[in-house]
Amino acid sequence: MEVTQRERVLEEELAGLRARITEVEAQAAAKEQQLERYAADLRETFKQERERSAQLRDSYITTVRALANAVEARDAYTGKHAERVAAYGLALARALGSRLADDPEIEFGFLLHDIGKVAVPDAILYKPEPLTEPERHLMERHTIIGVQILRGVDFLGEAKAVVRSHHERWDGNGYPDGLARDDIPLAARVFAVADTLDALTTDRPYRPASPLCASREIISSLAGTQFDPAVVEAFGGVPDGDLERIRTEIQ
Amino acid sequence: MNSAVLIVDDDPFIRRLIATTLEDVAGFELIQAADGEEALALADESKPRIVFLDVDMPKLNGLDACRALREREDLAGTRIVMLTAGVQHERAAHDAGADLFLTKPFSPLDLLRLVDELAS
Repeated sequence: MEVTQRERVLEEELAGLRARITEVEAQAAAKEQQLERYAADLRETFKQERERSAQLRDSYITTVRALANAVEARDAYTGKHAERVAAYGLALARALGSRLADDPEIEFGFLLHDIGKVAVPDAILYKPEPLTEPERHLMERHTIIGVQILRGVDFLGEAKAVVRSHHERWDGNGYPDGLARDDIPLAARVFAVADTLDALTTDRPYRPASPLCASREIISSLAGTQFDPAVVEAFGGVPDGDLERIRTEIQ
Repeated sequence: MNSAVLIVDDDPFIRRLIATTLEDVAGFELIQAADGEEALALADESKPRIVFLDVDMPKLNGLDACRALREREDLAGTRIVMLTAGVQHERAAHDAGADLFLTKPFSPLDLLRLVDELAS
């Protein structure tokens, strides 16, 4: 009799414990499901965020290209000079092993390098004769005016360094600041070579385009005076095929 | 109307989760209660703009708490969101006077959108 009584009490206790375990398990399962829901939302949000930032990057680059094209629309013969120079510049930056090529701001800078020319009068920009001193001064101001135009555009960051310093020379005889050697931002040093390469390999009203090998020789001869020798050396390592492709594809 | 959000759930984990999710979202003060009775007392003090009410709670359950809140004229502008465990509660939540319901496990994005909407 007593044993049965005790057994009944134990059984009741056991049933109570089992019910408690079931309840705790159910709560734990509910928490787990709730966390999974958070994880799923986080994943979706991340995917959307990634997509949106790609779209944003895309709109930046198309906007910047449109702006660069607007600058060049005045200049019939350069065609897609800015886009080509940007492509050459990126190829050069990659050959240098520099992380510049991964920075979208640098490409923006390459594209917009001459934006300040919108402030240079046609009479000076297209003057066939040599410029007078005041005219040359006005022409050279396009670097500073370019930076002023882009001043408030935060996403351009380092691009502004290219706009300001793309006419500096390794030997310090460039403009607008007369910077020399490492004081010139690397992106601007890379750009200088890319810009000359495009000028040499493009037909101009007063001369035909130089072949690539001749252009390479000219650029090599300017290492240490106009150009950073390290950039010229890296340029030597960029295969002809890569440069030809840029020249023919971006017309 | 006050800018407080009252979160009522007997599970402290869920309360913290909701509070963390809503932190700084619309400048709401976040208040927590563990059961219906505590919820009514806190609602009295803070006159919350939004109340999240779990259905299953000790002492006073969410449906009864909801009815009690709805009888209060000074809380006429308070929006009540019932946290339900499934479709079986939706009807009851509606009948008890809840404005909206959120089914558990809830989506944090839905929670944020809902607060954003109610806040504006």
